[in-house]
Amino acid sequence: MSALLPKPRMRGLLNRRLKFHLAGLLLFSGGFAAWHKFGVSEPRKRAYEEFYKNYDAVKEFEAMRETGVFESVQPTKP
Amino acid sequence: MAYPMQIALQNASSPLMEELLHFHDHALMVILLISTSVFYMITMTLTTKLTHINATDAPITETVWTILPSIILVTIALPSLQILYLMDEINNPFLTIKALGHQWYWSYEYTDYKDLSFDSYMILTKELKNGHFRLLEVDHRMIVPTKSPIRILVSAEDVLHSWAVPSLGVKIDAVPGRLNQTTISTHLPGLFYGQCSEICGANHSFMPIVIEAVPISHFEDWSWATTQ
Repeated sequence: MSALLPKPRMRGLLNRRLKFHLAGLLLFSGGFAAWHKFGVSEPRKRAYEEFYKNYDAVKEFEAMRETGVFESVQPTKP
Repeated sequence: MAYPMQIALQNASSPLMEELLHFHDHALMVILLISTSVFYMITMTLTTKLTHINATDAPITETVWTILPSIILVTIALPSLQILYLMDEINNPFLTIKALGHQWYWSYEYTDYKDLSFDSYMILTKELKNGHFRLLEVDHRMIVPTKSPIRILVSAEDVLHSWAVPSLGVKIDAVPGRLNQTTISTHLPGLFYGQCSEICGANHSFMPIVIEAVPISHFEDWSWATTQ
């Protein structure tokens, strides 16, 4: 009867689990960190670069001025 | 400025604040790395019946969990120190403004100009105009030129206050009898809002700061008109 079933693995179960989940840990936490770096940090840096690439401070100032938000300068058009 | 449901830092309006934003992203990435690792390890520990019956000696593990945190700390400390020293760089300010905290308003003195100083009180909610922000608007804003390093000297006349403008990356304590110095610089024209950041009495929440940045030619026109 004992020849019908294979002998179950009885040693090194914890070691096997630890090795498996060490890889899992690196994937899980590394994946999260990679998501934050490439999904949040790098896009934010690119967004600031893009914003300043063609930013015209004078044009923006004149647009804001015409809306009347400034206290020190008045709009040119009434 | 701040917006509803905001979780993260405000958008940067100065080069220093941009650096701080990027550093915050870097530090948050490290925090996420550690937090997710610990969460995973605890979950794995709690979901098994397997155990080590003779776990009395683990030199390799102990070495790894000593060296690894110190490496992580160095990766956080290096950019942090870089920004810290960047903040203290002397960069030949064009202008000096004194910001003095009172209970419960700020006063600004432009001592580079003759007789240019004024108080800055919060505008009450019932007196707000259309488009104004509640608890953030003031009757006299601090006008500054764009693209110019400006030295701000902060002090207080009575109790502790703190002069803070998040989008410029500035927060300086206003201590009675002490003069604290910082430098601000913005490339963007516009309005930048802040609030007193040190508890100072009943109206601590009602003494905001508003910086109005305009091109230097308009700043000169304003300063000339104000001193006449």
